[in-house]
Amino acid sequence: MRLNRRQTLGLMGAAAATTLAAPAIAQNRKIVVGALRFTSHSGSFIALERGYFNDAGLDVELKFFQAAQPMAVAIASGDVDYAVTAVSGGLISLADKGAIKVIGGALSEEDGIDGQKILASDAAFKAGLTSPSQLGGKTFGMSTAGSSFHYMGSKVAQAEGVEMSFKPLQKVGAIIGALKSGQIDAWSIVPHIAKPLAGSGAVHIIGNISDYLPGYQVTTVFTSAKNASDERGQTEDFLAGFGKGVSDYNSTMIDKAGGDDGVNEMVDLIHKYVYTDRPREKAAPSIINGTMRINEGARLNVASLKDQLEWFQSEDLVGKDITLDTLVDGSYVEIYEG
Amino acid sequence: MGMDIRLDGICHSYGDTDVLRDISLEIPTGQIVCLVGPSGCGKSTLLRLIGGLERPGSGRVLQLGAPPADSLNPLTFVFQDFALLPWRSVKGNISLVLEDHGIRGQRSKAIIDDVLKRTKLSDFADALPKQLSGGMKQRVAIARALAVNPAVMLMDEPLSALDAQTRELLMDDLVALWTRQPFTAVYVTHNLAEAVRLGHTIVVLSRRPGQIREIVRIDTPIGERRAGDPVCQTKHDLLWELMREEARAADEELIDG
Amino acid sequence: MAETEAANRPNDDKPIEVRFRGGGFAPRSLRWVGVAVFVVLIGLIQWGTQSGWISALTLPKPSDVLATFVQLWESGLLFKHLQPSLTRLVIGAALGASAGIATGVLIGLFSYVRAGLVPLVAAIFPIPKIALLPLFVIWFGIDEGSKYALIAFGTFTPTVVATYGAVDNVDRSLIRMGQSFGLSWSSIVRKIVLPGAMPGILSGLRISLAIAIILLVAAEMLGAEYGIGAYILEAGSLYDLERLFAGVVILSLLGVLVSALIGLLEKRLLGWRV
Repeated sequence: MRLNRRQTLGLMGAAAATTLAAPAIAQNRKIVVGALRFTSHSGSFIALERGYFNDAGLDVELKFFQAAQPMAVAIASGDVDYAVTAVSGGLISLADKGAIKVIGGALSEEDGIDGQKILASDAAFKAGLTSPSQLGGKTFGMSTAGSSFHYMGSKVAQAEGVEMSFKPLQKVGAIIGALKSGQIDAWSIVPHIAKPLAGSGAVHIIGNISDYLPGYQVTTVFTSAKNASDERGQTEDFLAGFGKGVSDYNSTMIDKAGGDDGVNEMVDLIHKYVYTDRPREKAAPSIINGTMRINEGARLNVASLKDQLEWFQSEDLVGKDITLDTLVDGSYVEIYEG
Repeated sequence: MGMDIRLDGICHSYGDTDVLRDISLEIPTGQIVCLVGPSGCGKSTLLRLIGGLERPGSGRVLQLGAPPADSLNPLTFVFQDFALLPWRSVKGNISLVLEDHGIRGQRSKAIIDDVLKRTKLSDFADALPKQLSGGMKQRVAIARALAVNPAVMLMDEPLSALDAQTRELLMDDLVALWTRQPFTAVYVTHNLAEAVRLGHTIVVLSRRPGQIREIVRIDTPIGERRAGDPVCQTKHDLLWELMREEARAADEELIDG
Repeated sequence: MAETEAANRPNDDKPIEVRFRGGGFAPRSLRWVGVAVFVVLIGLIQWGTQSGWISALTLPKPSDVLATFVQLWESGLLFKHLQPSLTRLVIGAALGASAGIATGVLIGLFSYVRAGLVPLVAAIFPIPKIALLPLFVIWFGIDEGSKYALIAFGTFTPTVVATYGAVDNVDRSLIRMGQSFGLSWSSIVRKIVLPGAMPGILSGLRISLAIAIILLVAAEMLGAEYGIGAYILEAGSLYDLERLFAGVVILSLLGVLVSALIGLLEKRLLGWRV
């Protein structure tokens, strides 16, 4: 019910903004899009609120998840059609089983824009962990083995030529708790979580992931293998709607095309989905702090994906015989090597 | 030297229910006193009061004279359900009551061998209770009671859980035990044949609340009593006359009265 | 029905054999049936996955699970995972069970302890111990302490309940016998109450230890690099069904092993039971 009302509101907003007549909905196909309540999923929120999905002939229902892992499984089971999530061992494994395909890129590390931060606990910081080069012998938090945290930490350690031990803690909340209380020494996370944590003094930012993984393709757009191969039209429609949402997000939040008013309006929109438990004035800084560029047109950095796949294979987390083609269907979006 | 027991105006009740009323009785050394009465008359309760397992509502239980110096447990029970520890062997069940008195090793073995011989159980020292028949179990319980050299044995329907034949055999055993070495005992039973066979004195209790209705003495020495003996038969009939009405009335009472 | 009616008819002189009606309701030991169910089920899954009738996403091939298991064994990883798990299980369960038995006996023996602790135990029992894991991490640290604590806490409550129930069920007439022979309080507890409660305690332990194995996975959610639970969780997050099932099989075997050990203990300690 609520989503329906939102959809209607979104439609009205879109109609007012573009001063178009009520959009003619050609097919109005029902699809389910999975999302986490993170700013990095704003592309879907904007496309829905501003009616871009409707314009593309899609009737989208958003389904929210607590973590990326169940969302990937929901795609594999057919309960969700499209979603955005970080590349993980689980995702590659599902692709290997012929269940899912990566069809586009979303969040990337990019020079000049705040990306993911490397954090140290206060205790470890005071004991001398002030730069990633001192990570040797330290404990690094991650949700599970084969998660993007595992990848990032491992890559940083590799680049610094040090050995770390990784502590699986399942949930982001648990990792934050362990880091604050000094049970683990270090972690890496998106800026809108890293900055407030560092602001409280309980943890310290000691480096940037982009220094170690420039152009890192953090999250990707993915769907079921069946959608990718058999529902070409629908998938293109989804990417078209999603791409418009992403484009609005980038131009408003990063390039400030609409000035502060534009940012405020966008924060209002995103706040309907993210940090809904906080009042707007408290949510706004977190939403603005969390801004990272989402790839225009969902273009995909295959060089980064290749590196990730090879790392997962080298750690024996996924099968050695999996190729990039098993994971990626590059026929939908622009492919680049960054 | 011996120890008599005197009951002095014992009254007892459970909640609002009077169980025993004004019981005064003398239990002389070396004699067997049988308590008979209809079911629910409080005879087992009276036994527990004598043995100190319950406290009387009013009145006193008195020991007159000192128990023998080597008596480990002057007032010793033999229970209807034998109360053997199923996880201990025959030997272990007897040593249980010796251990607390610091009797171990050779001394303990001597006592155990002696009581097992007296109860004809020497071959079963290592058997577990589950391997024994009911009659054997009760003989183990009696052996255990003998091991602590009691001044008074308090026997609570010791033969009631056994079948008729076993009961006869065990009665013979008890008679033989007493004849060889007389002991003092309070013997609770609802079986008049047992009372007539084993009791020097038979105390008949009325139905609840239990009061002493009659005290019957049998002068024939225990060792000479035989089934069908005219004196015993007369006493048996007399007791039955005394109890018949009480038993019927007790039987027709509602349980919660 | 017709036969018995005929048999009851008085002037029918043709003898009729009495119909047997005492069958059933007597459990017999048919061990092979259980094995057969396993074999058929696994065979069916093998056939289904081989022929593609069951997709690779639904269930792994049993033969692949076996191969994964063999690989675990050969690489020595099995023991690398088993050793910390068994240590956690043994220490956690030993702590929880011994504290549980002690508390249960105290509840069984003292009315004040019973009045004070039974409501508390009833309040603690239904708490999903997993929910308290983050708290344990703060109290006992992220390393072994919190894992021991979680398993110990999980085994504690069912052991308490089983133990005081067992103490309550000790034959009162045996205790009365002990008192009638003038046994000391401690002798009665050691020689009568504890052995008498042993059957109940051991059957409670069966449940408590199964719970300990369940909690092993939960305990290894936080900060465990090695361990069967960590292995299963990792396999789950990688959606690696072969490893997931191999891990689950190890847990099952662990459960069977624990159950067999208790069976052995029962045979030794409770041989006196009729």
